[in-house]
Amino acid sequence: MVRELAGLKARLFWNGIRADRQRRIGLPLITALVAWLAWSLATGHADQLGSLAGAARGEYLAWAALITFVAWVALPVVVFPLDENLDPDQLATLPIPRPRLVAGLVAAGLISVPVIALVALVGVTVAHRPAAVLVSLPAAVVYVVMAVAGSQAFTTLMSAVFHTRRGRDLAVFLIMGIGLSSFAGYQMVRSAVAEMGVAGAALSHPLDHLWWLLPPVAPAHAVTAAWAGRWPTAISALVVAAAWTLLILVAWERVLRWMLTTPRQESAPASARRKVGFSRGRWEVPFIVARKEFRFYVRDPRQRLVWTGTVIFVGLAIAAIVVGAASFAQFRDRHWLPMIAPVLVLMVGLPIALNQFGWERNAASYLFALPARPRAVIVGKNLAAMTGLLAETLFLGCLLAWFSSSWQWMPLLLPVAIGTICCLLAVGNLVSILTPLRLPREGTDMFAQATEQGLLALVSQIVSFFVIGLLLVLPASFTVLTVKFGRVLSPWLTGAFAIGWGAFWYALSLAVAGWLLHRRVPEVVGWVQVY
Amino acid sequence: MVITSIDHPFDDAAPAVWTRSLVRRFGKKNAVDGLDLAVRPGEFYGLLGQNGAGKTTTIRMIVGLLRPTSGTAGIGEFDTWKSPLEVKKRIGVLPEEFNLYERLTGAELLDFTAAMHGVPKKEAVARRDDLLGMLDLEADAGKLVGDYSRGMRKKIALAAAIIARPPVLFLDEPFEGVDAVSARLIRRLLSRYTELGATIVFSSHEMHLVEQLCTRIGIMSHGKLLVEDTPEGLCRAMGVDTVEDAFIAAVGGEDAEKKTLAWFESSPA
Repeated sequence: MVRELAGLKARLFWNGIRADRQRRIGLPLITALVAWLAWSLATGHADQLGSLAGAARGEYLAWAALITFVAWVALPVVVFPLDENLDPDQLATLPIPRPRLVAGLVAAGLISVPVIALVALVGVTVAHRPAAVLVSLPAAVVYVVMAVAGSQAFTTLMSAVFHTRRGRDLAVFLIMGIGLSSFAGYQMVRSAVAEMGVAGAALSHPLDHLWWLLPPVAPAHAVTAAWAGRWPTAISALVVAAAWTLLILVAWERVLRWMLTTPRQESAPASARRKVGFSRGRWEVPFIVARKEFRFYVRDPRQRLVWTGTVIFVGLAIAAIVVGAASFAQFRDRHWLPMIAPVLVLMVGLPIALNQFGWERNAASYLFALPARPRAVIVGKNLAAMTGLLAETLFLGCLLAWFSSSWQWMPLLLPVAIGTICCLLAVGNLVSILTPLRLPREGTDMFAQATEQGLLALVSQIVSFFVIGLLLVLPASFTVLTVKFGRVLSPWLTGAFAIGWGAFWYALSLAVAGWLLHRRVPEVVGWVQVY
Repeated sequence: MVITSIDHPFDDAAPAVWTRSLVRRFGKKNAVDGLDLAVRPGEFYGLLGQNGAGKTTTIRMIVGLLRPTSGTAGIGEFDTWKSPLEVKKRIGVLPEEFNLYERLTGAELLDFTAAMHGVPKKEAVARRDDLLGMLDLEADAGKLVGDYSRGMRKKIALAAAIIARPPVLFLDEPFEGVDAVSARLIRRLLSRYTELGATIVFSSHEMHLVEQLCTRIGIMSHGKLLVEDTPEGLCRAMGVDTVEDAFIAAVGGEDAEKKTLAWFESSPA
């Protein structure tokens, strides 16, 4: 059964490449990127192992094991994974004993591109002292299984939480919490290493003595003990690591059992909102579409997560200051700080603007069967995005103005933000039509179909990011000349130029996008739909 | 709900729904293979076929959601690929159940659809309330469509398809999962709709409903239209008593009936 599930994963992976042109082109790029990352991490890791000795090396290895494990578990939840996991829901009706199902899912989890990085790291560790291979090799296997099982258990738990609408709402904050904690943790490690070096940082924050309490540290401790020739300790650590792995597998099996037997639907809200309706006599399509978009910004957990990105940015900044990153604290006295709000909001707006039809998912076929001019649909979507992004910019601008006690540039913020968002939408409209992203289907495991986003589209989105950057060079230069260099240019001129520049590109893009969408409706629907 | 006559814009002699040499190829397979279809105004047309026969592909090409490899399709005087907006103004589509906006409430979905069709708000609200009441969805009007059961989704999708009273309706398995009481109401509503002049293209595997509702039936197989006639004419031509038998005879299902599984022919373990 394990072999069959691993085979199924491999077949899905292969069929995905065969059937999807985007993946065929994008997968080698992503594999090369992961391989480069794996190489960098592995050589860095080998250097550290070679340069450290004794307790410092043990502490370093413990920290490395813990950080890698946490990253491996948390990252797929924070960002969409590159991997296409098997969806347990689809296997639920098959007569597979759950222990075998779990074992099969672990085996299937090993067939993915990011595993290259994990295997490279443990490979370097095993190869460091070949004499200890009798312990280090099984410890490496236990660690990899623990990481894969831990990651899948966590994503399954998240999926189980996502089963209910309320759970999905809570999960958004959980994911934000993970993102913030990871960043704060990264800052702590970075500042400690910068201050004391790797050896000093590892020795001043000892972790290795907690090996039997922390699952990922136990295999690292087994390896360290084996290197030192303390075989009884090494073997007992290995046993503890194996026990932890077993416990994680059992926990995962329990979560799976709960998830597969819990219905997805919730009862109806207490009050039926029958009075909801349109308050205008005759509706223009853009306003109707914009109104629908607003509802989805609030109700769709993933769109909501994108829109609360501002909170993440602010949270990251606060986290950085709390953990004492001087580089962030110095911004407190920068009078131009509010003017970075459009840049931050630009990041928030990218996933919305560059994939406007992908967010429609299967409902795209509903939308495009309605009698609306493609251009009107685009304008409606842009109207909603523009309003949301402007509101976020102003909110963030006020927050940063308050933080830096500098309100003088707030009047300029609005035109600059309008120009910036117009440029974003100008590129976004074209990219959304030419390479829409397919999102995981609502109501199913959001992690199960992650590569549905299509890797070529992903690459095209990265390229569009640079195009947006290019478009913003001129208005950004005007703004810097005005704000940073003592009003070399009049704020009035800068504001007017930002709006004019943005409006020009937006109008041009809208004309082309309307024409393009008119011809490409079937292609867009075909790309974003999950059958 | 009281329905007055449908303002269909078609010349009675011209087809309300048509395809000409319509072809759609997926890889090496022709899902639709040179299809010529002509559904007259006021017809309740049943489009039948086995799974993969090309029914849904045909409907998707007629409504403009799938580009044909060659050939063309349209509604009345309008070619779907030359005048998509004009076509979409004249059609209502009952989509596959997961293609609805799952994060709109049932009431909001109807409001949205009516507004996109340009139905005045007051009229839209009245129609929405009528439809929700008639389809027994009143109590669930404020519930998100994503939380609806399968039958409820079918009902709300049907309500959305007809709220603008389009002259042509495309219904793909409209009765799947719908309870008997609602199914009877829907049957009556649809029959009345065609009496008033609307044209319905109806795809279903439930042969008794097809026999009961359709005025003409087309049977597709491997992307081609094999045979087309009234239910009675079809039965007569095939020398059988029911549409189901006629369908099986037309697609060669009699051979399939003779197939057996040797390992299956013993009492279960």
